[in-house]
Amino acid sequence: MSEYIRDGVKPFSGLSSLLHIDTKLFIAIIIITIFGLTTIYSSSGGDLSLVIKQFTRVTIGIVTMIFIAQVHPDNLKLFSPILYVFTLVLLILVLFFGVGNTADRWLDLYFIKFQPSELMKIFVPLMVAYYYSNKPLPPKTKYLFVSIIIVLTPVLMIIKQPDLGTALLIGMSGAIAILLAGISLKFFIGSTVGGFLLAPVLWMNMHDYQKERVLTFFNPESDPMGSGYHLMQSKIALGSGGFFGKGLFNGTQSKLGFVPEHSTDFIFTAFGEEFGFLGVILLMTLYLFIALRGLSISVKATDNFGRILSGTLSLTIFLYVLVNVGMVIGFLPVVGAPLPFMSYGGTSMVTLFATFGMIMSVKSHQRILRK
Amino acid sequence: MKTKARKDSIRKRRKIEEKYSWDRMNDAEEERKSHSNRAIIATLVVIGIFFTYMVKLYEVQVSGYEYYSTKSDSNRIKIRPVPAARGKIFDRNGKVIAKNISTFDLIVKKELIKNKEEFLEKASLIIKLDSNQKKNIIKQFKNRRLKDITILEDITMDEYSKISVDKHILPEIELGIKSRRAYTHPYATAHILGYIGKVSDSDIESEVVKTQEGMVEIGKLGIERFYQNILAGESGFEKLETDAFGEVIRTIETKESRRGDDIYLTIDLNLQKFIYKKMKNKEGSVIAMNPNNGEILAFVSAPGYDINLFTKSISQKDYNKLLQDKRKPMINRAINGQYPPASTLKPFIGLIALDEGIINSKKFVSCSGAYKLANHKRPFKCWKKEGHGPADLSYAITQSCDVFFYRVSELVGIDIISENLYKYGFGKKTYIDLYNESVGLIPDRAWKRKNLQQPWYPGETLNIGIGQGYFLSTPIQLTLATASIATAGQTYTPHLFLRSQDSKTGDFINYEAEDNKFITPNVDHDSLDIVHHAMWRVTNERGVGTASRLKKIGNIEIAGKTGTAQVYSQDAEKGQSSKKILQDHALFISYAPFENPEIVVTVIVEHGGGGSSTAAPIARDTIEYYMENKKTVVSNNE
Repeated sequence: MSEYIRDGVKPFSGLSSLLHIDTKLFIAIIIITIFGLTTIYSSSGGDLSLVIKQFTRVTIGIVTMIFIAQVHPDNLKLFSPILYVFTLVLLILVLFFGVGNTADRWLDLYFIKFQPSELMKIFVPLMVAYYYSNKPLPPKTKYLFVSIIIVLTPVLMIIKQPDLGTALLIGMSGAIAILLAGISLKFFIGSTVGGFLLAPVLWMNMHDYQKERVLTFFNPESDPMGSGYHLMQSKIALGSGGFFGKGLFNGTQSKLGFVPEHSTDFIFTAFGEEFGFLGVILLMTLYLFIALRGLSISVKATDNFGRILSGTLSLTIFLYVLVNVGMVIGFLPVVGAPLPFMSYGGTSMVTLFATFGMIMSVKSHQRILRK
Repeated sequence: MKTKARKDSIRKRRKIEEKYSWDRMNDAEEERKSHSNRAIIATLVVIGIFFTYMVKLYEVQVSGYEYYSTKSDSNRIKIRPVPAARGKIFDRNGKVIAKNISTFDLIVKKELIKNKEEFLEKASLIIKLDSNQKKNIIKQFKNRRLKDITILEDITMDEYSKISVDKHILPEIELGIKSRRAYTHPYATAHILGYIGKVSDSDIESEVVKTQEGMVEIGKLGIERFYQNILAGESGFEKLETDAFGEVIRTIETKESRRGDDIYLTIDLNLQKFIYKKMKNKEGSVIAMNPNNGEILAFVSAPGYDINLFTKSISQKDYNKLLQDKRKPMINRAINGQYPPASTLKPFIGLIALDEGIINSKKFVSCSGAYKLANHKRPFKCWKKEGHGPADLSYAITQSCDVFFYRVSELVGIDIISENLYKYGFGKKTYIDLYNESVGLIPDRAWKRKNLQQPWYPGETLNIGIGQGYFLSTPIQLTLATASIATAGQTYTPHLFLRSQDSKTGDFINYEAEDNKFITPNVDHDSLDIVHHAMWRVTNERGVGTASRLKKIGNIEIAGKTGTAQVYSQDAEKGQSSKKILQDHALFISYAPFENPEIVVTVIVEHGGGGSSTAAPIARDTIEYYMENKKTVVSNNE
């Protein structure tokens, strides 16, 4: 153990280091959640109960984050396979006992109702990072296939629910993890092309409403009162916000119900309408900052597990942002993907804070190499 | 202090390192470098995508601001027009003839009805609905523009209270109050007022009427059409903010509608009713006009029809019935009825001959009961078989001698006759304030060649001389021509509009005489005196004048001219002879008092028989009624 001097607690680093918290990341996240709470309050027409509910979740999230940040990455690593397998079991349960309106995504445990697929958003990168943590990198083909199976098993189960959006997100976060593990880019590009070739197969197995969403994406004006309606109204809301926005509580598109899901999937629209391009610049820059900060933590991490985990998680968060914003501005099809730290919703909020708990754990427990 | 987990982890790694004989230090450094490289690539990709997104967001939010802002407003802002109340119409004495009344309809909001069949079934339980009404309700269901369905139109409160006893069966029904046009004397004033109806595409394209947002009904005919823009007022609007479901959130802005201006007509309603009563079982027209200003005092076209039918939505059945009615009530005979004026044209032929210097007051024509035209086998008969003997113009008018006018028109010739008749207003519009006025017909050589591909025959000129043949005139044209005699050439455009009253200020805006489009004949006073006097003789020279048997009206003397148009109806030619159709049209033109005319009265009764027996008495009674009631009219006016 001669190469490690001690755990990376710097002297005189105050409360944040005591709590293993990265202050910069934390502040950025808090600002975003404040934006989220404000937008929820405004677009719901001043419904304080929603805000209080969301605030409670944020609080639970912060507590969770701080708790996880205390856990040493090695311990996280130790629990990874257990968490992964446990959630897989939950997913299987969802397939049989799940509840939900259009798709059975929820597991009702009587005291709490949650989506196991949300948990997979963390546990897949965690599992991949775990798997590669004790393998020489770049990984050999044999290990690569194992990691692909680790990713694809939950993805297929989530597609079955059906929740194509989440499945794709998890699949992509798995891909990011594998990519960061160091597989050759050639192989990565090859498999991506292969994925595209598999698209028709995927299309055949898609549900009608999913197909419709994809089709609408390519031609939103075709059905203005149907699926394309969401996208059209979303763009109108954003566009009518202009540079400075309509101002707080003045977002007519969201408040009057033209933008659907203005507190959940389309919260970016509601935010952009009221805060304008200026607000959007600020929000997007915060997300960018979080992603880059996460990457920088991963670069400074001292082992492969820490690197892959923190790198994958921060890129995944940014991916969620891209998918959500891409959806509301018409870059991507309308898939049910929440905007990190903004969208109204419990599981996602707590999961996200947990994610950052892990990143912070990696950061604050890094072992400094002796020169 | 190392946890067990960490110890395990380190042990595991060491095992692997041994297994792959892997130089940990070197490989760890390499792994770190490899990860750094990938992180740098990832950073670049992230920043790249970030800027792509920002560009797109800039496009939507900044470049697209105007476009999307407009769309956003049109999303949430709905403009609901508030139709203006229509102006009322009064007669010259302020008696209302067209007003707006509130009516009650039994309506139901479409959105409340989920099952149409079930609704109809329930509705028939409490309201007696025949198959037509049911069809109509289904039709309304299909009409996407309608939000409410009218089940019953125009019900009384009594009827409603009876229905509401069973309201529990159909709780969705409610009472809808709306304003409806109502005409106080629908038959008598039908052809003056016209009617209003739903705005159609042709109304929107029309240049004579201005349609407004939210306008539901519009004048279709008559005064309602001609003065639509005055009567309509100005629609207001409510600018509303609505949510995505069409629910009104708040009113942003309101503009009150401006009620339409009221219109006072030149018509004297009592006189109109008086005449219509005499005419309602006949077909024809009576026009009474003040020759000194063109104000039309009575304007009757008989039979009338119920214009109130049109203000409720008239059923196709009722409409067809009106169209197919043999008496043709929908035709406005006063301006569209084109009749041969018969002997009533004689004064004008006489005036033309005098004016052209072809005859003078001393010109005598001997009437032997028939006139022989050179190269013409059949002689032209006078109505009096035994003949009038030698007749001058005055006597010929008084006795309505045909032979005199055969001779005179032969002397004058068709070219001069047709050219000069235009000066009296025949063959062209009088520009009365009603649309679609007919112009009648003044035949001439060119007309005949063009329309019948035949040359003009001299015998036809003779027929024109007695107002027969191809010549056609409308009652309003005859009225105006008569007025030109009554006022010695000083004529005014006939009009029905007296004044309007601004609904806001209460100010009156009086009729403004436009430039008279009617060319006043330049008649010599001496010539006029001859005709003037002759027309006096028609009604006053006992035993001589064709209408001298008329009862006198106090000390008021009437001048006039009878006419009896021989009608060869198409039906008669086909052999479907019916006594009435073969009977002649009766005509009478008149003015009174003789010395200082105040009223011109034209009467045409289709198939009415003789002008003196049928038409003249109606004119006489009209004049009498007018003269007797004139004083009260004036006092009312002040």
